Amino acid sequence: MDHISVALDHAQSLGADYADIRIQKTRRETIVLSDLSLKNTSMNVEHGYGIRVMKNGAWGFAHSNIFTNDEVKKTVEQAVKVADLSAKIKKGKGLTLAPERGYIDSYSTKIQIDPFTVPLNEKVDLMLEVNKTLLNYSKIKRAFFMLENYNDDKFFASTLGSRIHSNIYYVYPMIVATAVNETDSQSRSHDDGGYAAGWEHVLKMDLLNKASQIAEEAIMKLEADEPGEIRRRDLILNPNHLGLTMHESVGHPTELDRVLGWEADMAGVSFATPEKLKKYRYGSEIVNFIGDNTLSFGLATAGYDDDGVPGQKWYIIKDGILNEYGSTRDSRPFLDDGMSRGCCRATNYFDFPINRIPNLYLEPGKKKLSPQELISDTEDGIYIEGRGSFSIDQHRVNFQFGGDMFWEIKNGKKVRPLKDVLYKSNNPEFWNSCDAICDDRYWQDFGVTNCGKGQPMQAARMTHGASTARFKNIRVGGSK
Amino acid sequence: MMKEFRKAANCNADDFSFFIYRSDEQATRYAQNMVTQNMSGVKYTIRLSVAYENRTGSARINTLDESELKKMIETAQTIAKLNKPDPEYVPSAKKAKIPKVGNVSDNTAKASMKEMISVIDAVVKNAEKKKAFISGLVTKTITDFYMKTKNGFEGFDSSSEFGNSMTMADNKSKETKVSRSVMDIKDYSVKKEIALLNSQFDALTTPKKIEAGKYNVILRPQAVLNFFEFLLYFSDRKIADYGISAMSGQLGKNMFGKNFSLLTKLDEKGVTAQPFSADGIVAKNIDWIKNGVLNALNTDRSYAAKIKADPSFISNIIIRGGKATEEEMMKKVKNGLLINNFWYIRTVSMRKNEITGLTRDGIYYFENGKIKHSVNNLRFNQVIHEAAKNILMLGKEENMTPSVKVPTMLIKDFNFADTTTF
Repeated sequence: MDHISVALDHAQSLGADYADIRIQKTRRETIVLSDLSLKNTSMNVEHGYGIRVMKNGAWGFAHSNIFTNDEVKKTVEQAVKVADLSAKIKKGKGLTLAPERGYIDSYSTKIQIDPFTVPLNEKVDLMLEVNKTLLNYSKIKRAFFMLENYNDDKFFASTLGSRIHSNIYYVYPMIVATAVNETDSQSRSHDDGGYAAGWEHVLKMDLLNKASQIAEEAIMKLEADEPGEIRRRDLILNPNHLGLTMHESVGHPTELDRVLGWEADMAGVSFATPEKLKKYRYGSEIVNFIGDNTLSFGLATAGYDDDGVPGQKWYIIKDGILNEYGSTRDSRPFLDDGMSRGCCRATNYFDFPINRIPNLYLEPGKKKLSPQELISDTEDGIYIEGRGSFSIDQHRVNFQFGGDMFWEIKNGKKVRPLKDVLYKSNNPEFWNSCDAICDDRYWQDFGVTNCGKGQPMQAARMTHGASTARFKNIRVGGSK
Repeated sequence: MMKEFRKAANCNADDFSFFIYRSDEQATRYAQNMVTQNMSGVKYTIRLSVAYENRTGSARINTLDESELKKMIETAQTIAKLNKPDPEYVPSAKKAKIPKVGNVSDNTAKASMKEMISVIDAVVKNAEKKKAFISGLVTKTITDFYMKTKNGFEGFDSSSEFGNSMTMADNKSKETKVSRSVMDIKDYSVKKEIALLNSQFDALTTPKKIEAGKYNVILRPQAVLNFFEFLLYFSDRKIADYGISAMSGQLGKNMFGKNFSLLTKLDEKGVTAQPFSADGIVAKNIDWIKNGVLNALNTDRSYAAKIKADPSFISNIIIRGGKATEEEMMKKVKNGLLINNFWYIRTVSMRKNEITGLTRDGIYYFENGKIKHSVNNLRFNQVIHEAAKNILMLGKEENMTPSVKVPTMLIKDFNFADTTTF
């Protein structure tokens, strides 16, 4: 605590209008099994602090991993020096911060079994068994299993009086089977992303059964036909697939910093500009997207963000209309005098916190509807599971997505598997073509652990979710 | 540093590999003509990998604190002792002669934050004159890398990099970018970069609609780099031998056409090179692809031991160019598209060597040797080696980063699979 007072007092004595310190210790256990060879079994620990000051309308940020009062003071001085230099190039009064108060609070991920206490051999035995299951199929030439267990212990304090402790966990198993014949190779994965929980979540996943399924489907894809010429058909997309689609075509365009042009040199800007708020038809009337940093299993949930703003739940798209952005304390004042939505996050202690996608999900349909009923109701379509190739322009309008498993639908039935399917669409065509969403019994989450954004690049985490949904009349076919 | 490691504790494992990476980074981000982020600090990565027979474990920390070093050693050793045997385990790298490379500049190391801000000041003033908005990032990074193994490998490398990436846009449709980084800050001319940015910006007009299809393209160096660097992700020997990538069975064959050569060269003038890899592979000159023939694939130490080949890694990237100017390229074909950059490139099929992506930062239609107007952005779905086979002319090589040099290229029949709305 001494370091905290030293940092905040020293920053204020040097003229900072606002300052915060984030002390963060990150532990990451990674086990990589390629076929039956352990390519990496490692434990990584990063411990340090980042000090952010705002002075004369500009940010300064410096970090260190030396925990002495002298070093803390030096780091503050560096951050202030950086802010002073930054303030020389600003527009008007420069940056301001949305209103907020201080909080004294703590938040922990609910876990039953700490993944770091599970014996290594238990984890490796499970992974070996999975990869052996995959390699038992003669056409599976490559089995890959990556397991990541993560813990982030963070203390945030600010000159607003906040003193917030968070202790976050997630677990992330990911399996890929690659089948090969003389002319082709096809992969199929089991990848639900990360999940904020303990080892108990991995135990519930029934990974051996999943392994058999993905091996069989990878082999099935090898023998499958390609979809042929691009033409308009209906798409039925499962929750895992939609996790990526919504991330790219809804999550990023509704980050307020992108809307303001702050990401113009790297990730790009956004078509969803402020004059469209409350007016623009982003999707059909059944499309509702919720930002929710209170989800207990959500990867963006930490009680508070790195501005010290509490986790919130709000409509980003409501009844198909662009409703609100995900914002931070420094971006929100450029829009209006409202409060931040609590989307400011840094990945590591040495990263500057930036505007991030919250946990973001598509609300399930209100009428009872199962994926099977949706397929039965579709004459000419393709059902897609999982994630594949993905690419979107820098304004987040035009995109092309692949997938991990594809089935042709004819007259209400899945008639044959396909491979190498791509669909092309854009905002607003895609979300406006959504005519059916299955109900909440079929809602599933997908946890992103590697959302790249910022300069220098940071990989952030957030959870998405959806029930299987249908999109009418989308251009879909092969790659040409 | 090894002294501190020894002081911390004795590593009693049968084998070990130890590295320290230190980076001193200053990064100033600007957007819409103002500074939005500014950061500074030193980072350490200290990693120890150990083995007891063929049971392996590793640990990584970010501090030189003695007690943490001790803990790191204990953690790595504990993991290895508890771990299952690795059937593909190879002992750590042996003593080797590390090639001499010049990767560091005192000028860059001494550059102050004021100098970095002065670059931003210049580009912002230029943007204001143009009634435009500029966004970007100025960085200065000094890194040190030290590695030692129980089997006698010991290597040290220092490098410096100064870079500025900037995107200038107006309120309508103009948007273009120039990005470059150099080892020695004295080789970075903000005036020259602004002139290049302005020339790209001024050449942009309201884009005319263009449909998808096959076009002749002139790819400027940034586009060439972003497109062909995907080859490197597919150029793994094991993946090829397993039949997973398009390189399968292609070693020694002309897969890319006579105009395409990609190599690593340690003594290439003006290009830095990483002298050794993080697992102790010593860099050497390699013609990965020479006049279209696939000569070598990236091979890690474990797989190299299995197939009794030399391990290799990509220490720098040079794509050989020629002498053609953009004007000569535009005259060579009746019409085509001049492309500044590609963006959001992803794999469509590794087996087919096919990738997708979009044009960005300015795309111009040319005809009869002259730029006529801008066109809307396009999406490509293109097989990489087919594009290489279709190279008609090569321009002068240009340094894009300290370790990358690529030319402008004229390529026929580049496959654009979709148009976009802007």
